[in-house]
Amino acid sequence: MLKMTHLSKVYRTEVVETYALRDFNIDVKEGEFVAVTGPSGSGKTTFLTIAGLLETFTGGHYHLDGIEVSQLNDNARSKIRNEKIGFIFQAFNLIPDLNVYDNVEVPLRYRGMKAAERKQRIMDALERVGLASRAKHYPAELSGGQQQRVAIARALAGSPRLLLADEPTGNLDTQMARGVMELLEEIHREGATIVMVTHDPELAARAQRNVHIIDGQVVDLSEEPRFHAHNARVADA
Amino acid sequence: MQIGPILVALRRHKAGTTLIALQIALTLAIVCNALFIIQQRLVRVDRPSGVQETNLFVIQNDWPQKLSPQDADARMRADLQALRGLSSVQDASSSNSFPLRGSGWDNFVRMTPEQVKMTTDTAIFFSDEHTLATLGTRLIAGRNFRSEEVGSQGGTDPMHARQIIVSKGLAQLLFPHDSALGKTVYVSGDNAPSTIIGVTDTLQAHMTGLWAQAYAYNALLVPARLTGDSTFYLVRARPGQLADAMRQAKAALYAQTRMRMIPPHDGVMTFAQVRERAYDADYGMAILMGIICAVLLVITAAGIVGLTSFWVGQRRRQIGVRRALGARQRDILGYFLTENLLITLGGVLLGIVLALSMNLWLVLRLGVQPLSLTYLAAGVVLLLLLGQGAVLAPAMKASRVPPVEATRSV
Repeated sequence: MLKMTHLSKVYRTEVVETYALRDFNIDVKEGEFVAVTGPSGSGKTTFLTIAGLLETFTGGHYHLDGIEVSQLNDNARSKIRNEKIGFIFQAFNLIPDLNVYDNVEVPLRYRGMKAAERKQRIMDALERVGLASRAKHYPAELSGGQQQRVAIARALAGSPRLLLADEPTGNLDTQMARGVMELLEEIHREGATIVMVTHDPELAARAQRNVHIIDGQVVDLSEEPRFHAHNARVADA
Repeated sequence: MQIGPILVALRRHKAGTTLIALQIALTLAIVCNALFIIQQRLVRVDRPSGVQETNLFVIQNDWPQKLSPQDADARMRADLQALRGLSSVQDASSSNSFPLRGSGWDNFVRMTPEQVKMTTDTAIFFSDEHTLATLGTRLIAGRNFRSEEVGSQGGTDPMHARQIIVSKGLAQLLFPHDSALGKTVYVSGDNAPSTIIGVTDTLQAHMTGLWAQAYAYNALLVPARLTGDSTFYLVRARPGQLADAMRQAKAALYAQTRMRMIPPHDGVMTFAQVRERAYDADYGMAILMGIICAVLLVITAAGIVGLTSFWVGQRRRQIGVRRALGARQRDILGYFLTENLLITLGGVLLGIVLALSMNLWLVLRLGVQPLSLTYLAAGVVLLLLLGQGAVLAPAMKASRVPPVEATRSV
């Protein structure tokens, strides 16, 4: 699903070159739930922004869903972001001027989807996160946990192949964080591929696989399955 | 299209949106009316005088000492003879005034001696048998004055013209359904009839102001030399000899007698200068209104640029989020262009109402013509283009916000 090989990201100024990622290798299979951890400044967010095609990289290769993305132009990258990737940000990143319904609709409009289909998908996604009754509310009228649920609904509405979550519970209290995490686990059980960047070792422990980044490199790659439900379901099937 | 969400978002930014829409409305109302008034002024400026203006010039002659009517008439006849004798001069005549002069005699015309209320007002030009040829104005009916019909008249003498020539405009006004030729009218307070012996083609009056719009082409020629303190000599130079004729004419007059005053700056004027002076105020008004329009348009454009730039700065993260969710650069560009179009359309709709109301007030209070809808439509298009042009640079800047902006901390 997501494969980076010898990938590097260098930030250059006139006097210094800073390697945010160096000889970075990772392979995330379809249906995996991967937690990416590491200290501040280790390159976790850089990895996520490159994985989400929000940023370009300096060297190496990156295949997303079988597509080598390094040569894609801005339009093609936008199309892939829109159709294959769902984002969940730490700060929710809802558009404050739009109500819940319109916020969830944003990526669907950029896909050029018909109004009837958009409506169906939006209501399904809001039902999924338990916020259908708040469709006409504005973000400022919702709690942090509800806002993050709206952001998850927005990510889910487009049926992405890959969900990228950047500290999804970072701005939430424990109870809300638990609720969001349970929602992510549920989404994963339904077959979604999730890559989640987090500082929180407890959250990381709930993922299927942990990737640890230090100084822009993957230093520990354990494939110990933490979640058995999905595998069990696959086995049952 | 994302008009619905944009409208929803705009409702949450009422102050900025309303202010810009109002500015656009006011600009449209003022610019439409101003451009229409400018156009009306320019049409007035360009209207034909009925005079062949090329090679025609005017000399203002004042007699410094009090002359008897006989002496004044004798001097004028001698002057005219001297002017007509110049090799560079084709013809010359004298008059109290001339088309486009701005001031002169205007008097009323009645159809019967008993009539109390005038039929119309008209310019009175004192003329002789050379006047029409000098002006280059042709007769379309009847005949010219004969030399024996031309007398002299003091400035305060009552009007007693038994034969008159009228302009086409005046003839049509007096006798709309019939030929004016041979008909009689009563000029000024004269209770004896004046017979129309000739009708000229178009001939403009001396009045050029808006107040005299209805009388602009009413001219009535009486066969007389005005023996007052001053007179105008109308002189037609031979083709290509205007400058020579102007110089020689002045010298010839002073050679007759130095006991006269020809104002040094504007005593001798080409007809082009006469026209320019006549419409000075119109040109001035057109330029002033043009400047006001330009300033208003610049201020409105600057307002749009300022507000959009502010919004782009304020929504930088939001733009990044949209980009992260799949918006292409052109989607962001389209968003801001559409947003501006909606604001401008709102302003334009209000502006149409304002423009028509403003015009109605001008029509009722100042006698301005009703606003042409073409100007309204042109104003709407102008404002829409201005809005889109003004928003383009900040919108393009917005479109270049990278998607990674979505992950930046506030």
